[in-house]
Amino acid sequence: MTLDRVVWSMLHEALAVYRDSPRATAWLRSHVERYTEPVRIAVAGRSRIGKSTLVSALIGDEFAPLSSFVWYRNGAEPRAHVFSGPGRPHEVTIGRRGSRHHVEIGQFDRADRVVVDWPARTLRDVVLIDTPSEATPEQVLGDADALLYLMRHVQDDDLKFLQSANDHPIARTAAIHTVAVLARADEIGAGRIDALSSAKQIARRYRRDVAVQPLCQNVVSVAGLLAVAAKTLREDEFQALRVLASLGREELEDHLLSADRFVGEQFPVAMEPTVRQALLERFGIFGVRLITALIRQGFDSQVKLTGQLVQRSGLGELRDSIAVHFSERREILKARSALLALDVLFRMEPRQNARKLMTDLERVVASAHDFRELRLVAALQSGRTKLPAELQAEALRLVGAEGTAPLARLGFEYEADPREQREALLDALVRWQAQAADVHASHDHRKAAQIVVRSCEGLLPQFP
Amino acid sequence: MAPPWLDVLDETIGACVTHRRPDLEARLREKRAQQLDPKLRVLVVGESKQGKSQLVNALLNAPVCAVGDDITTTVPTFVQHADTPSAALVRNASARGSIFHTPTERIAVPIEQVTKQATAQHVVRAEIGIPRALLDSGLVLIDTPGVGDTRSAHTASTFATLMQADAVLLVSDATGELTSAEMTLLKKVMEACPNVTVVVTKIDLVPAWRTVVERNRALLARAGVRAKLIPVSSALRLRAAKTGDQRLNTESGFPELVACVQRDIVASADLLARRAVAVVASSALTQLVTPLREELTAHDSSRTVATISTLQEAQRRVDELRRRSARWQNVLNDEMADLISDVEYDLRDRTRKILREVDKTYDEADPAIGWDKFEQWLEDNLNEAATTNFAWLMERAEWVAAKVAKNFPVYREDLIPGSVLPDDLLEPASRLEKPKIEPFSIPQKLFTGLRGSYGGVLMFGLVTSLAGMPLINVISLGAGALFGGKSILDESDQRLKRRQAAAKAAAQRHVDDFFVKFSKDVRDSGRHIQRSLRNHFSTLAEELQETLLESARSAKRAVQDDQTERERRMREGRKELDKLITLYKRVQALGGPTMELTA
Repeated sequence: MTLDRVVWSMLHEALAVYRDSPRATAWLRSHVERYTEPVRIAVAGRSRIGKSTLVSALIGDEFAPLSSFVWYRNGAEPRAHVFSGPGRPHEVTIGRRGSRHHVEIGQFDRADRVVVDWPARTLRDVVLIDTPSEATPEQVLGDADALLYLMRHVQDDDLKFLQSANDHPIARTAAIHTVAVLARADEIGAGRIDALSSAKQIARRYRRDVAVQPLCQNVVSVAGLLAVAAKTLREDEFQALRVLASLGREELEDHLLSADRFVGEQFPVAMEPTVRQALLERFGIFGVRLITALIRQGFDSQVKLTGQLVQRSGLGELRDSIAVHFSERREILKARSALLALDVLFRMEPRQNARKLMTDLERVVASAHDFRELRLVAALQSGRTKLPAELQAEALRLVGAEGTAPLARLGFEYEADPREQREALLDALVRWQAQAADVHASHDHRKAAQIVVRSCEGLLPQFP
Repeated sequence: MAPPWLDVLDETIGACVTHRRPDLEARLREKRAQQLDPKLRVLVVGESKQGKSQLVNALLNAPVCAVGDDITTTVPTFVQHADTPSAALVRNASARGSIFHTPTERIAVPIEQVTKQATAQHVVRAEIGIPRALLDSGLVLIDTPGVGDTRSAHTASTFATLMQADAVLLVSDATGELTSAEMTLLKKVMEACPNVTVVVTKIDLVPAWRTVVERNRALLARAGVRAKLIPVSSALRLRAAKTGDQRLNTESGFPELVACVQRDIVASADLLARRAVAVVASSALTQLVTPLREELTAHDSSRTVATISTLQEAQRRVDELRRRSARWQNVLNDEMADLISDVEYDLRDRTRKILREVDKTYDEADPAIGWDKFEQWLEDNLNEAATTNFAWLMERAEWVAAKVAKNFPVYREDLIPGSVLPDDLLEPASRLEKPKIEPFSIPQKLFTGLRGSYGGVLMFGLVTSLAGMPLINVISLGAGALFGGKSILDESDQRLKRRQAAAKAAAQRHVDDFFVKFSKDVRDSGRHIQRSLRNHFSTLAEELQETLLESARSAKRAVQDDQTERERRMREGRKELDKLITLYKRVQALGGPTMELTA
């Protein structure tokens, strides 16, 4: 039985055991419901780090930030509900000011949460939760299955947050739910034109950093403003930027030296200061610099420009990361959340007849192969377990560090036919069995090899 | 003439020596040497990636410090005046060791490579000399690694350098207001060096930098920090230097910063020194005064409190012992009474069972046959009963001893007495008397038979004589024989009954004797045990009480002794404290944060 089936039946068993406790039943019901939903991803980080901007960029529509938890779900038509205290949620309208959508929460200033139903492709696979910056790790992770943590350079406070997010026995054995984001990548390198590529390099360094690596699955750099701009660039803005790009490079550079200069009185082309101010607010001084440079380089249609911006801003990479680490691992993330919830329940209301479930829980956490795979990934990436370089790469691939589809695991760059895949799989299996039985290898080495063998065996039924 | 702060500082160092605080002394001596040094060290600190190195470069209009998008500065870089550009790396001569107090060596390196090589291991700091008017007056700019980086070694080296600073430029970029971590850093910096200027960098990048500056001012005001706040843009300044654009230079905010550095730092070195000395000396004095004052108020009385509490504890334990000794005595009496009655009942029960067995046996058997065997059996049974009973008594007695021990106020190894056995036990009771057994001899049998047959012969002889037969005939003789046989049988039966009764009586008597004797023994042993237990425990209790009383007495004495000793120490302590407080007031007069410190 796969992990998610096991956990699903455990949830139902727990419902039967706790049927006389209304609180426990409500708790379990909500988790049963949540089990079939898309992955919930909380977006957290310090204040003004760009959480709302990043959420807007992922959705593809710009939303004004609110001071409470805001859930973005997929919905046929735009609607918003405010949950405040007990009682039924209130429906509120979603207005529009300029390029931004505003959820008019009005008198519900201190809402527990705001739920926005919005038609967007991204939201088909995930639910995004924008969190207020003062929220504690417990609050952030209470309702979420996964975490996007935004930071600039990694600071001690950030590490502390991520550590406390993993500070639970089950969470520790399955620390698989975090992707760190170097937000505001455009500000790295003082807004120079190559800021984004150096931000990418920094992200790469953090991915190997021993302090950061065990705490998250990946580190990506994203320039939030640019990403939003890429998704929501309007015709009039594009035209204005084209006008700017038509100026001489030297001449424009002078006026792009500082934000003050850009909106200043003397400007070589006829353009209202308010227009310039708006451009600055939307794209930032770096955005204006980059976009005009790109237009000059020949990305002079809106479509070309958008593609280029999505790629450069790091939004594409972030989306891939979300897909590989979160959406594709929906079952296991959901199972993880449910196991955590069961653990909370058993602690809060211990029962004699829940004994069996408690031992089941322990067994599942200790033995689920999916968790083992992910633990191996973490161990290999953090260097806790060492394999020879070429084996390490293959082991990571086979246990699904680069994607859990058979093609990704077997390392095919193209659509190989099943026979070919089967051969590759059997080859890997035999080789890794030899590794697992190698008496000269270290204990860690053999254990890692055993997990890889098990992963290969798990793939076998797919190629009869 | 020595400046006034020097005297105060020296006196504070003296106080540190008297109070045996070599750590504080070393710190103050370091500060003293540094203050006497005509160089003015300005430290540039801040979290990583705020533009510290770029700020130094822009201040000097020269790319002396490496700037980069990732963590770049890894060691403190000292930039000072030199007639020709030069650079050197300072590293620990020994491969390992702390930053302080290890021999170091300087290695001259080309100036353009200094920051590249600074990442090498064991490099403690980099030193760069360039000809600049700003540095002419002895100003040294120190670029530091970012604080709060994940690599704590960087942070540590920054804080180590902080101790040497005369003034501090705290750098925070305009992309966000001061974070709580930065405010904490600021407060930490203020403790070591009060001359702080907050520099807000990167204002070229942020359209709304004015709001950020306003918010930062409000934050500083709310935290009660009197620090100047200057917004600058290093990028603009460097560009202005390249193009010679004066307007751009003004826009960059640097002229104000440079003026501030010259006016507030270079020109008022004396004030800075006074303030720095005031802060360091008062922090040292506070550290001296605190334990002293504690000693005066809490500590010395804490000793008295300790002795008094020892006394109270001792008295409490004496009371406790008294209370509990009544308890263990009661337990002993009750348990022993129970024990004796139980044991006696057990003995009676056992003997009764034996007697019943005897009765059953002699309802059937003839004591004349196998009396010896019976005697043996009875002795064995009685012996067994006695041993079992006695063993049980011993067991119970030990159990009682344990129970009493449990009720004893304290636990000791020798609490349970080794042996409660009386020595003279189990003397054999009197021998079993053999009952009188009358043998039924042949002449007796003959006589009895004849006596019985007489009636039969006569009776039947008379009857048959009527039939004309002689008195002695076959029939009468036959009847006589029958009658004689019967009377012999009857007689022997009666004799058997008598013998059995006699045997039973003898057994009964013997068992009774045994019971009386043994129950007396058991009672005696019980009482003996009780007495020995009581003696044992009361000896222990007396010993214990004596110890406790002694400790109570000594505690009482200690309390009295303490009183005089304390008064003497109090007087000395007060004098010392007064001296320190006077010194502290003089330090305060130098100018610095005013903290309340009173006796």
